[in-house]
Amino acid sequence: MSTYLQLSGISKIYGQFTALEAVDLDIKKGEFVTFLGPSGSGKTTTLMIIAGFETASSGAVNVAGKSLFGLAPHERNIGIVFQNYGLFPHKTAAQNVYFPLQMRGWDKAKGLKRAEEMLDLVGLKGFGHRHPKELSGGQQQRVALARALVFEPSLLLLDEPLGALDKNLREQMQIEIKRIQRALGVTTIFVTHDQTEAMSMSDRIVVFEKGRVQQVATPLELYHKPETRFVAGFIGESNLIEATITDAAAGEAGNTALGTVEYARTDKVASGAAVTLMIRPEHIKLSRNPVDGRKNVRMKVETIVNYGDNALVIGKVGEQPMRVRVLGADVVIIREGEECCISWTRDSVYVIAN
Amino acid sequence: MNRFMRWLGIAVVVFIAAPLVIVVPMSFSEARSLQFPPPGYWLGYYRAYFTDVSWLVPTWNSILIASATTVLTMALVVPATFALVRHRFRGKSIADLMMLMPLAVPHIVMAVGYYSYFGDLGIVHTHLGVILAHTCLSVPIAFLVLSANLKGFDRTLERAAQSLGASPTRTFIHVTLPILRPGLVISALFAFIQSFDETVVAIFISGRGAETLPRKMFDSIRQEADPVIAVISTLLFAAVLIGLTAPLLLSRWRGRRARIGTG
Repeated sequence: MSTYLQLSGISKIYGQFTALEAVDLDIKKGEFVTFLGPSGSGKTTTLMIIAGFETASSGAVNVAGKSLFGLAPHERNIGIVFQNYGLFPHKTAAQNVYFPLQMRGWDKAKGLKRAEEMLDLVGLKGFGHRHPKELSGGQQQRVALARALVFEPSLLLLDEPLGALDKNLREQMQIEIKRIQRALGVTTIFVTHDQTEAMSMSDRIVVFEKGRVQQVATPLELYHKPETRFVAGFIGESNLIEATITDAAAGEAGNTALGTVEYARTDKVASGAAVTLMIRPEHIKLSRNPVDGRKNVRMKVETIVNYGDNALVIGKVGEQPMRVRVLGADVVIIREGEECCISWTRDSVYVIAN
Repeated sequence: MNRFMRWLGIAVVVFIAAPLVIVVPMSFSEARSLQFPPPGYWLGYYRAYFTDVSWLVPTWNSILIASATTVLTMALVVPATFALVRHRFRGKSIADLMMLMPLAVPHIVMAVGYYSYFGDLGIVHTHLGVILAHTCLSVPIAFLVLSANLKGFDRTLERAAQSLGASPTRTFIHVTLPILRPGLVISALFAFIQSFDETVVAIFISGRGAETLPRKMFDSIRQEADPVIAVISTLLFAAVLIGLTAPLLLSRWRGRRARIGTG
């Protein structure tokens, strides 16, 4: 499918400070894309530039081939759900959802009927007469979503909408938002700093850091093939080990705290290159004795964090800190302060060029 | 200790409420001047108040002046508050200070100033003069109330309205104004009360031409201590009580009706 929303070379400069640097992005119609990054990484600034509440210092934003720049926020036809919902306290839920239709000159009876249908779709049938303060956080969230979708916007922007909800409700709303987004097929950008939220909801994830796009990929690609050290550290847990490629043809890296390490073969690095090796904690096996056919090293166990179904074992190989995730049942073989064997296969060692 | 605090509390309440409670029986008194306890009761002074032009004209003047002061004050304060709360500009802190100045300067000093300045302009003893002077005194009060409200206003709501297709003007009409309405009403009410109640400046500049009720009461108590004063005090007290409780009762009644209507 062709590009629907296109950002090209978007920069935002405040005096000496560069908040965004040449952001390029192509999003397809109906896609669910998440902007993921720590606070101050530029993800919300990008969202606000698309919405029209911030102006870019340079670059262009096009929707279906037409530029958005030069249009005021109210002329852009973009639905937004804000972090604190932004529901109008003096209007009922139904009046809130009717508001965008009212602004578009709809007949009142028809508009209110449409608003009720929309509330029905988000699971709030019969709540139309309530004011926002008479609704729970999750219900307010649903009203905000209905209001942002009722006028069939060309884009839906969600600015950390789940931040204020507790954990169970958050998971429930993640599923709800996905369901509604799929049902309506609306192109959606979701902003969050929560990587599990990004992983579970997105078609693709855009990772922001310090005003730059680090990587654009599907959740699984991002997890298994991070392109930068930042992405590897930010998405999931990982062991990151400094190394130098000693033999690119054989797939060997040396100069590490773990000795010589064989890695999954790749042609993106040459011998002599300084790299970072990534091993996910769940790919490491913990045992009393060395295991044949795997790379084995001895680790001194410092801390064991038990989660019941699994446990995180934190220790050191020489000076290199290592994290190992094991099934809860396996952790009984080891105690804090003891030495044990950790091992992995070469396919679990992923090379990130520095 | 607990008992002592309770009695202290009661004493304080009595001390504060006593002057209010005393004027009510005095207004129904038969006595020829203010006297407590009253020797007997009748409604004669109420009849006197409602039929005597020398009382009704100042009452009308006060209502007129307070209403005009309120309108003029709000016309100045609403745009000024938006500018001072939401924007940064050169001289903002000085503008802030100037807005609040009339609160700090003693009324008597202001009154002397108005007397000589308005004398030169030829508007002493006119409604216009009193309205202008009262507006100066009402502006800081209305500004303080409204700016507190505007500072607490969540601007996300305005962004939300715009993203939903409302132009800045329609955002103001449909979202900003209705949400700020309680603040605007209270702000206007304070402006009205401050003008209606103001005595010092009124004594200096209202004269015969625009005599206000507080001024007339002051003159009356100095000359004859007419019990009509107690009548007016009682009526004002009642008006304030109604003014304070009516919105509360109204919103309760509305809430109940809404629940019945949809239940």
